Order: sequence, then structure tokens, then C-alpha cells
Amino acid sequence: MRIHRRRGWEIPEREATPEHLSLNRRALMVAAGAGVMLSPAAQAQWFFGRSSASGDPWTRNPPDLPDLPPAMRNTRYQPGRDISSEREPVTYNNYYEFGSNKDVWPSALKMRTRPWTIKVDGMVEQPGEFDLDDLIRRIGLEERVYRLRCVEAWAMTVPWTGFPLSRLLEIVHPLASAKYVHFETAQKPEAMIGLRQSWYPWPYVEGCTIEEAGNELTFMPIGVYGKPLPAQNGGPFRVVFPWKYGFKSGKSVTRITLTDQRPKTFWETLQGSEYGFWANVNPEVPHPRWSQATERLIGSNERVPTRIFNGYGEFVASLYANLQSERLWT
Amino acid sequence: MKWAGWAMVGLAALLLVLNGFSGPLGALIFALDAPFLNTFQAGVQRHLSPELWNVLILPILESPSWLLPLVIAALFFVLARRKARGTG
Repeated sequence: MRIHRRRGWEIPEREATPEHLSLNRRALMVAAGAGVMLSPAAQAQWFFGRSSASGDPWTRNPPDLPDLPPAMRNTRYQPGRDISSEREPVTYNNYYEFGSNKDVWPSALKMRTRPWTIKVDGMVEQPGEFDLDDLIRRIGLEERVYRLRCVEAWAMTVPWTGFPLSRLLEIVHPLASAKYVHFETAQKPEAMIGLRQSWYPWPYVEGCTIEEAGNELTFMPIGVYGKPLPAQNGGPFRVVFPWKYGFKSGKSVTRITLTDQRPKTFWETLQGSEYGFWANVNPEVPHPRWSQATERLIGSNERVPTRIFNGYGEFVASLYANLQSERLWT
Repeated sequence: MKWAGWAMVGLAALLLVLNGFSGPLGALIFALDAPFLNTFQAGVQRHLSPELWNVLILPILESPSWLLPLVIAALFFVLARRKARGTG
């Protein structure tokens, strides 16, 4: 018979402090150490600031922001997996201007999402500045369920409401000389603490080729789950490239410029070796910190194999047929 | 201990010359190693506390680059003084 003598420091598993409490306690210890260096106001923010995370991630700003007009689901794009629960995509976000943590939504909701205008300029016949609501009325809306794949190897399935970028480009008539599209995103210092890092090349800039912009998959959401797009998801107006890693899909877009110069994106400036211009999903090309072979589904935490172009190869693979010398997967 | 304080004063003076009076510490670090602060921020905000970054580290990075070594120098001088008193 095996006799297990418990040593003095051993306790039953049920008596162990849960990990999340332990981590909170660790943060508290650090806070206590830091406390002597902080002002009373800063201490209050430190200790109580997180309590704001108990609000409603769907809170509209401004509060009287109306519901979206009805939009039919486009069934051409089948995600092949369940749609993520409504809470996951609005509470688990990457939005660098608000911070590096995932629960940035309480800060993001401080950003007003109306009025909102989008400037479209550069190599187009008819440049203009468009009010977002006018644009919605002019173009009309549809819903598309896309898989969303982050370079950090997690994924969600999200029902976006919006319109294809190609419809907006039809309005401004790109010149034949336009080769790239440059997306510039909002700078709202009153809500975006990240902008205080003045050494970064704000505003956040993303880009794609004119062919990628005109691809049928390239979508400009203004809503999610049939509701106005919250700021933490890039509201009120963003771009989505479902076959690329998520950082390519710029949030809270304010300006779209057509150009013959390849844009140098925000992440290329910060860490070009890890976050390139193309960033197409490929399970066989690992990021220095994340294998891309599988992806974790947010919500269920199930791991599933990653698919090349995030499973959208039939729509986009031809775009890259003559670009094999480029770093297409970084 | 005192020599460490003077070394920090020297570093502060050097940074004042190189980075200017108001050049933030963050800008200096970014110029030396662009990816570092992003990785550091992610580590702090995701694994320790978002507020640790927002309330403590970010203000230090925003401050003039010469200030932090000067504060450390002052600490070294205080410690050296206490040590001298203790052994005296």
C-alpha cells in the first residue's frame, strides 16, 4: 500500500488560492509599492479604475446613436464554424491606441463615434469628405459573417454589417495610376491614452494594394451583430481583410488615400520584421512568438488547424500569383 | 554608493545633451530599440496590470530622459549619507 505523508508546506488543492485572485494580489503588492510614488488621484485610479469594466460594452457614444438600418445577410461567404457569442468580440480586443491589454473597451467607449466623416482623396477623380450616415444611406448595407484571425493565434467568427470597399471606390473613381490604398485612423487624445506615447508614428496607418482593396471580400463594417460598431471594435467605421491577420484591418478609419506609393504601416515602423505589409494568414509561416499552425477559438478555447488565407484562398489567392518574391506571409 | 550617484548624474548630463531638455525617455528608448517598448508594454499590461503601465510607467517614459537618472542619483546620495551615519 502506498502511504502518502503530507509535508508541512503541502495543502489540499481545494485550499489553494485561485490563480486569478493570486494574480490580483500580486498586482496589489506592486500597487502598494508604487503607491508611495503616486498622487492621491493616481492611487485612486490605480485601485478603482478597473471597476469601470463592469459596464455595458454595447454602450453607445453618443447615447442617442440610432439603430442600424436593416441589412440582409450575404450567404455567399460561409464561415464554416459557429458565430462567436455576442460578448466575446466586444470585450476581447486589440486596439493599441487604448492599450495593449484585451479589455480596453471601457476606455474605448469614451470615444464619441458621431459625427464621423471620412475623407477620400489622393489619386481619384472625385475626392470628397463623406458623412458616415450619408454614406450608409447612399451605398446600403449587408451583413457578412467572416472568420477573424489574429496574428496572436486566436480567432473569432463575427457578423459584420457594412459595405464592400469597392462600392466606395466606385463613388470616387480611382485613377489608373493609383496602386495602393492608405488607411488613416482616428486620433482622439481625450480617450486614447496610447497617443501620449509621442515617439510612435501616429496616426495608425494601414495599407493594401488597389487590387486587394477592390477584392470582393474587402469590407467596411459600420456594425456588428446588427448593432452600431462599438469603438473597441473599430467603430464607427473600419476595414476588414478576412484573409489577413487582424492588425491589417485598421479601426476607426477617418481617411482613405489612393496613391502610387506603398504605405509604410504603423507596425512596419515599430516592428517590421514581425508585422509586414502583406500579412496573409499561413499556417506554415510562424511568427517569432506564435506558431500559426493552429488557432484558439475565443469562447470555447478549442484549438483548430489554421487554413491558408484563413480559408479564403478561392477569393484571394490569385491576387498574389505574381508576387512570390514578396514577404506575403509576414 | 556615492560613486553610483555621481555616475547617474553623469548619465543625466549626457542624456540632457543627447536628447535635449524636454526629449522624453520613451523617445530615446524608441530611437535605440524600436520594438522594445511595445513588447514591454504588452508584457506589463497583459500579465501584470494595465494601470501599472498607464499610471506609473507611461508618465516616467513621458518625462525628460535626464530626470530618471537624476532621481536615482538622489536616492544613491541619500543611501550613501545614511550608510555614512550608520557606520560613523
